[in-house]
Parts: sequence; structure tokens; C-alpha cells
Amino acid sequence: MKAYAVIVFLIYSWTLLVSFYRFPSWILYLTVNQILTVYAYNFSLNFLESVFILGGVFLLDWTVFLILKEKNEFAARSIIVSTVVLASVMGRLFLFQDYNEAPAFVESEPQWWGIIALLTLPGAALLAKVQRVRTALENFAERAVVFLYIYLPVSFIALLAVGVRNLF
Amino acid sequence: MKNITRRDFLKITGATLAGATISRGLRALSLSGVPARPNIIFIVMDAFSARHASLYGYQQPTTPNIESFAQNSTVYHRHYSAGNFTPSGTASMLTGMLPWKHGAVAGGGLVRERFVSNNIFSLLGSDYYRFAFAQNTWADRLIGQYPQDVERFLSPFAYSRMDGSPLLLNFPRDRALASTSINDFLFSLDGTQKIPGSSVFGYLSKSERARASTSEEYITKSYPKGFPVAMNGIVYRNEEIYDGVYKEIKALNEQSDPFIAYFHLFSPHGEFKPRNDYRKLFSENKSLPQKQNHPLNVFDKDLAPYKGGDFLRNQRNLYDSLIAQVDDEFGKLVKHLQEDGILDNSYLILTSDHGELFERGFWGHGDVFMYEGVLRIPLVIRAPGQTKRQDIFSPTSNIDILPTLLAIAGKPIPPETTGKALPGFTNEPADSSRPIIAVHGRDNSIFAPLKKAAVSMRKGEYKIIVYLGYTSEPIYELYDLENDPEELNNISNKDVKTLSALKDELLQYLQESNKMFS
Repeated sequence: MKAYAVIVFLIYSWTLLVSFYRFPSWILYLTVNQILTVYAYNFSLNFLESVFILGGVFLLDWTVFLILKEKNEFAARSIIVSTVVLASVMGRLFLFQDYNEAPAFVESEPQWWGIIALLTLPGAALLAKVQRVRTALENFAERAVVFLYIYLPVSFIALLAVGVRNLF
Repeated sequence: MKNITRRDFLKITGATLAGATISRGLRALSLSGVPARPNIIFIVMDAFSARHASLYGYQQPTTPNIESFAQNSTVYHRHYSAGNFTPSGTASMLTGMLPWKHGAVAGGGLVRERFVSNNIFSLLGSDYYRFAFAQNTWADRLIGQYPQDVERFLSPFAYSRMDGSPLLLNFPRDRALASTSINDFLFSLDGTQKIPGSSVFGYLSKSERARASTSEEYITKSYPKGFPVAMNGIVYRNEEIYDGVYKEIKALNEQSDPFIAYFHLFSPHGEFKPRNDYRKLFSENKSLPQKQNHPLNVFDKDLAPYKGGDFLRNQRNLYDSLIAQVDDEFGKLVKHLQEDGILDNSYLILTSDHGELFERGFWGHGDVFMYEGVLRIPLVIRAPGQTKRQDIFSPTSNIDILPTLLAIAGKPIPPETTGKALPGFTNEPADSSRPIIAVHGRDNSIFAPLKKAAVSMRKGEYKIIVYLGYTSEPIYELYDLENDPEELNNISNKDVKTLSALKDELLQYLQESNKMFS
């Protein structure tokens, strides 16, 4: 729950933040109903993304972190891994904005993700063992839980709206 | 039996008269043996400027195959798009309305909800099997506003080198808004924004597209600069796209219903990546005059290192080469369709949604400029079994396409339509003094009167352009196109009488269009 709250907070916040830059242009040519529909699609995809990342976190725990049997470190480890991965994704999207940078984007991918994996996996395992780090991360995650209570019901409505628009 | 009201009587009379007029028009084209409802095949080449087609007198031999096709077709020499980029140009063609009415004036813009059903597909109705394929996601989105009226609607990724966009196809009933969210915002596929709104799937999509466009598989001897890329990520080859077009038409022809097939193909839209054997086809065209940078050219700063025109000349040469390649593919397509006898029972329409500019320090389309390069587009129509060339020199607009097709299909033209059936398809005399209007309004809200916009109007030999709201006072330009086809001399200060008359007329139309907000 705590790890998922952090994942949801990061994924939805990114979409909302980017959408604030598009919003001024949308209001020039989309009706309120159309803008709400666009957000319904956005939040539906955000929900799928959050489940996708949560699935990845579980997969890591059942494979790479299998040797670490400390169950009380799961939340801290997952928060570290998901935050680093999502921050990397967002950082790279921000760094390589121009389509002409596609070759540089592709070339740098193996090194980037290699370094991230090398630093994050052992780093997460070690840092999660430090009580102070664990407490700090869990405190942060507890505050992020409030976003779950906002975003998940909104996503449910969004999924319903997308379903209705496409089925009937 | 239901009593016929006066309104019904007028409708029936109107439809009968329209039918009689068009049937006389069709007879004028010697169309004996044509089925009652011939097929309609629409090839829209995105961003194809008539100014760059040798069919219309361009110095480089860019379009020999289209010229050959034109020998048995009707060629419109002064055909204009009502918009200067894809949404406004395409929506005008599909709805028969000017951009200030249909409202699709923004990047990714949509037709106003109240006019959505006023489009070629919905109005032709289920008498026709309706097919659409638009590589340009903005054109795809416009057709996606009425997916229930298109029986087969391919993904913009069809026949490309990408598997892609399966997500979009999962929303067949709500394609326009699903595309606005997914293609435009979440995956930033159309290039409107540089950062995708979706972090995780947006990243994966960006990564896949970047790998596809840089993969060694796609950078070959034939394409040393890589394959062409549509809308920021759809990697394709024109050879495969046109093969796909032929395959689809052949399949459509094998069914019993008449069909309308709309193909909105991305080339020769930039970025210009012609096959290598076309790249060096043309030497530099030095006969084109230099034009002063335009004061409203917001790209001037970006293009500053290229002042002197080397960059623009290079882009223009690549554009011409890509047109030549597409012309060859079109030639092959026509040959196949002729061999299969498909052209004996089909109209084949070749046109574009807008043109392209390489002048005044500006490359591209969709900015405020309303010069001939970006507004004059090709229009060539081959009627079933047509054996003679017909040349139409009176000015026409792409808002005339919809009424023409409805007339061909014997359908009534709705009153919301602004366009008229094209000369050659009606017995009405061609009107050379008819005003041909084009609107650029992407800086203006579609929910408010048009106050910040560029509008052009061609009337007779003159063309007036007004830039409203970009400076404290409107800017007017006036050109005599018969004596100054390159629009080099703005005569607004010299011919004040003509300027005043055209200005009054244009502002009157603008005022009329703004009435919908009062």
C-alpha cells in the first residue's frame, strides 16, 4: 500500500504537471466535456501504468530480492526502486525532448539503465536495512497515501467513463 | 400515405433539380456506361503544393506521372485549400465549410460538435461502403469524430514499419478524443508537445519509435538518412504505403457495394526523406526569386543562421525530390487500377490538404502565412471512363469537394455547406469572380469571435491578406496574381481602391462568421 501510494503519486503527478502546459491550448479548441474525456483517458492509462510498475516491484521482490527475507524492508526497498526508476524515466524524457535527439536517446539507453540497475538494486537492499532511512521513507509514503484516496476513485470514474463511451 | 408538406415538396424539388443538373454535367464528360453510383477513390497527398508540381508549370519535372494521368482527367488550375495546415485544410474538404465555421483551426483541432455530421462519409450514407486511412494523426482524428460512419477505418500505423497504436484501435467508438489523449498528449506522437504526458508507457513508446527510426534496418543504401517518419514517430516507406493503397482498393472493388475510399497519405510532408535515387534528381532551382523575410515570421530567429536561403533551397530540393518519388508511386498505382479496370467504374481524385512554403525566411506550413505556396493545391479528377482532358481555370476551393461528391452520388447538399459543386460537374457557368477564402485561426479560441487570425481572399486576379490581432493595427497585403504570381509586390498602398473594396467584402464575411457567437 505504501509503495503503491508513492508510485501513484509520481505517475499521476507527472501527467497532471505536463497537462498544465497543454491546458491553455486545449481550452482554445476543446469543450469542457471533451477536456474531461481527455482526462478520463489520461487517468485510465495512469492507473494501468501504476499497476504495471507495482507488478514490476513485486516481480523484483520475488526474483532479485528473494534472498532478502526481511519482509519489513519490502516497503522501503520498493519505494527506493520505484522512485529511482520513475525519476530516471522522467529525467530522460525531460533531457531528450527533441525528436532529432533520437540517436543519442537510443545510444545512451543501455549505459543509463545498466548504471541505474547496478546502483539501485544493491543500494535499495542496503538502504532498506537502515532503520532511519526506512522510517523516513515510510513516513513519506504514509503522507502519499492521501493521493491514493483521491486518484484511485477518480481513476475508477475515468475507467467507467471510457468504458461507457466505447461500449454504448 | 403520409401527406406531403410544403417543406417536403421543396426538398424533393431541390433534390430533383440538383440531380438533373449533375446528370447533365456528367453527360458533358461523355460518361456513358457509368454505373449509377460509381466508386470514389480519394488520394490526399499531405502538404503537396501546386506551386511545386510541373503539372502546373513548375520548372523542375516533379510530376510526369500526374501529368500523364491528367491527360484523361479534369485539371483544376486555381484550386485552393481553405486552411494552411492539416486540421483546417482537411476539415474544410470533408465538411464543405470554411475553417471559421467548422472550427478545426488548432493543431489537433476538431470540428464543432453541431457540424460533425456534415461530412462526406456521413452524408454519402450507407449506400456506400466507406473506407478511411489517414497516416496523419490529425486527419485520422477528424474522421474519428464519426467512426460509426466509416465501415473500415485503418490505424495511422497501417502499412508502416511500426506495429503500433494498438491502444487507439481499442477505442473505435471514441477515436477522436482517445487520439487527442493517447496520440497527442500521453505519447506526444503528433509533435505538438515534446514531453509525453504518460511517464511509463510514454517512455516505452518513445523508446520504441526512437529505436525504429535509428535502427540499422531502416538506414539502408536506398535510404541513407533513414525512412520517412510521419507525425513524430511512424516510420514508413512510400513503396509499401502505395502497395497497401492498391491492395485496399482492389479488395474494396471485389465487393458488390459502391465504395468511397479516403487515403490521406503523409508524403510529401516533411521531414523530407526521399529515396536515394531521387535525392540528386534536381539541380538547384536558381530561377526562383529571393523574397524578403516577413515581419511576422516568428521562426526568423531560429532560421537566422540560414539567412541567404541555403537552408530553404536545400529543403526545397528535397521536397521536390520527394514529390517526384511520390509521383512515381502514384503513376504505378494508376497503372494497376487501369489494368484491373477499376478506373472504369470509379472516380479517382488527387488532391492535398494544404501546400508548403519555402520563402520569406520560413519553411513549412500552419503559421500565419497565406501565400500561394501554402494555399494552392493540386486537384485532378478522373471520372469513370473519362477520355478527354478538361482544364478549369476559374478559382475553386477545397470546400467544393463535398458538394461535388454529394452531387455525384445524387445526394442533397445540406444547407450548412458553404462550398459549391466544382465546375465540370455542374452546368452552372464557372464564376471567375467568386471569392475564395482561406483562414488561419489557430491563435484564436474557437468559442469566441475571430479576432486574432490571418485571412486571405482571392477574387478575380487579386488576392488580399489580412493579419488581424498580431499587431496593434491590422496589416493588409494586396497582390495582383495575374501579373505578380510570386506575390513579390504588395500593392496595398498603390491600388487603394481595390484594397478598400476587397477589404470591405472580406471584413463583411468575417463579421457574418462571427455572428454565430452573438
